[in-house]
Amino acid sequence: MRLIESLIDTTSADFQANATHNRNLAEGLRERHRKARFERPVRDLERLARQGKMTVRERIEALLDPGTPFFELSTLAANQAYGGEVPGAAIVTGIGIIAGQEVVIHADDPAVKGGAWYPLSVKKIVRALDIAVENRLPVVHLCDSAGGFLPLQADLFADKYLAGRIFRNQSILSKLGVPQVAIVLGHCTAGGAYIPALSEYNVIVRGTGAIFLGGPPLVKAATGEVVTVDELGGCDTHTQISGTADYPADSERHALAIARDIVGTWKRAEKLKIERIRPEDPHYDPQELYGIIPRDIKVQFDMREVIARLVDGSRFHEYQPAYGTTLICGFAHLWGMRVGIIGNNGVLFNDSSLKGAHFMQLCDQNRTPILFLQNITGYMVGREYEHRGITKDGAKMIMAVSGLEVPKITVIVNGSFGAGNYGMSGRAFDPRFLFMWPQSQISVMGADQAANVLTELKVRQATRGGDTLSAEAVSAIREPILEDYRRLSGAYYSTSEMWDDGILDPVDTRNALGITLSATLNRPIDRPHFGVFRM
Amino acid sequence: MRHLLLIDEAEYEIGLVPAPTGDGDGAYRLLLGDEIIPVSLEGTVLTVGPAREKVAVAVDGNVAFVHFRGRAHRVEFRDAIDRFAKGAVGGGADSIAAPMPGSVVSVAVSAGDAVHAGQVLMVIESMKLETAIKAPRDGVIETVHVAPAKTFNKGAALIALQAAE
Repeated sequence: MRLIESLIDTTSADFQANATHNRNLAEGLRERHRKARFERPVRDLERLARQGKMTVRERIEALLDPGTPFFELSTLAANQAYGGEVPGAAIVTGIGIIAGQEVVIHADDPAVKGGAWYPLSVKKIVRALDIAVENRLPVVHLCDSAGGFLPLQADLFADKYLAGRIFRNQSILSKLGVPQVAIVLGHCTAGGAYIPALSEYNVIVRGTGAIFLGGPPLVKAATGEVVTVDELGGCDTHTQISGTADYPADSERHALAIARDIVGTWKRAEKLKIERIRPEDPHYDPQELYGIIPRDIKVQFDMREVIARLVDGSRFHEYQPAYGTTLICGFAHLWGMRVGIIGNNGVLFNDSSLKGAHFMQLCDQNRTPILFLQNITGYMVGREYEHRGITKDGAKMIMAVSGLEVPKITVIVNGSFGAGNYGMSGRAFDPRFLFMWPQSQISVMGADQAANVLTELKVRQATRGGDTLSAEAVSAIREPILEDYRRLSGAYYSTSEMWDDGILDPVDTRNALGITLSATLNRPIDRPHFGVFRM
Repeated sequence: MRHLLLIDEAEYEIGLVPAPTGDGDGAYRLLLGDEIIPVSLEGTVLTVGPAREKVAVAVDGNVAFVHFRGRAHRVEFRDAIDRFAKGAVGGGADSIAAPMPGSVVSVAVSAGDAVHAGQVLMVIESMKLETAIKAPRDGVIETVHVAPAKTFNKGAALIALQAAE
């Protein structure tokens, strides 16, 4: 594979201005991460201390192998919901290493509203378990939740992907032979009680841990029976009498140590055999990514410059370099693992769409995972392109991306607009992981175009009686529309709603891809087979 | 196909193949002309045939600097694809055509300007996206065919460079 020849002038004023802009965005991201992870109301932290409980971060630290990374997912979930008062949606999820084994962690955060489950908390747990199912990763649950947040119960209970899905996914994992261990560190009430019950292994802390369908107040109201927490569902009740829990623990640290020992007894999944070489750092400094991403999302840049700062040795074998040049396709290695890369270098035309669909089939055939790098305004419009079948060519890409058996990972590098999001493995197409960069935007169409359409509709309504509107009046209609649209297409809104698995600092992307790509290889993949391509 | 190495400006066509097992890790056979020379690099000790030298190696992309006996030697690996591509160095067309229909946002050069490969010549807009049109090679601008705000079709000539000598 050849070294990519970078054409970036790192001393240019443009590069420097981009670098300053993007470094500020990355700094802002780090600050938001810090707040979401560590800023909690003092009274909640004091309550945990009184109960002898560790914080969720301390628990995870103690659980993982020392010196190994914890790759956290959706850190900023719910950052724009519930008045910003439920950081991380009161749940921490991620991929960590225990006893040398990759596992998915799901941990309730008792310092946020007593660990209550909000609708987005449920979405976050379901997503973590989807990741476990799709990648055959064992799961460790750290349970400490007050239960569903009642005022919003209608939004978290009954629908297909709401709370019931947590327990469905747990059962499917078990059926697939992927083990789970739950550590009961607080009360697991009502639905939450099924998490330890559906795990093949569970550990419960004496004194603070409890499992029951209804707590003492509910029991008293229902039947008049008066019973203590311990008697009803404490450590000794469940480990000695009911058999609902397996291992009694004297303290949180004791419970975490037992859980580590349990994970150590599990058989390690055999990794998918893909082409591997010895990993090598990129030749070009990943810090230069800050200067490459233009500060204006409308400005085009060469995706090869991004690839050069992600892949081993900055080496890339470009496929069909002269055809359909607005889509870059080719092979590279990421941390020694061979990947196919599909990246946007402009609008998708007929030829670039065909090239994309063709390259996807090629990667599926030779068992190469695919990395999608999105910066896409959409498919080309106009008579010439429709006559050549741009719609059916886009459909070919969608058919290919949906039918892939090899793992896909998507990074939205800048823009993700319209059907381009679909053909380039957007969320709906089950990439095993999907990440965004801080500046990215995602929506049906660009903010300016959408604001123009919406403004025109409103102006037409306002002038139906034959009135005319001044330029200021039109602008007064347009500005709030534009601002709202921008917010709803921004990366922070996307990650708040979990349309992605998190926002990445561009320089961390290589490591994130290394960890997640490795995680995808735990699952065997089926032979290549696709639906019908409209030729 | 043998590799081309430039060692301190001198060209060598060489091949490198793993030595038969039993020679240890890091043992290779160097093919140079008709010769087959056993070579190996173990830690900092480089063995070439009967000669053994303590070396320091620094790698920067396709270039390695090998230091021994008080001197540094520059060893460049010339990729065969680049080496045999016609006009890979200083190549590129004389005329730059529009990659898609659109309009001109700005023009940065005028006739007679000397430009270098990769320099931004103009910015066009299509499908809400601004694309910089860059010089495909070093050269001198012959004609700028379009002005700002002008629209054009796919394939329209945007800029011509003076023919390369």
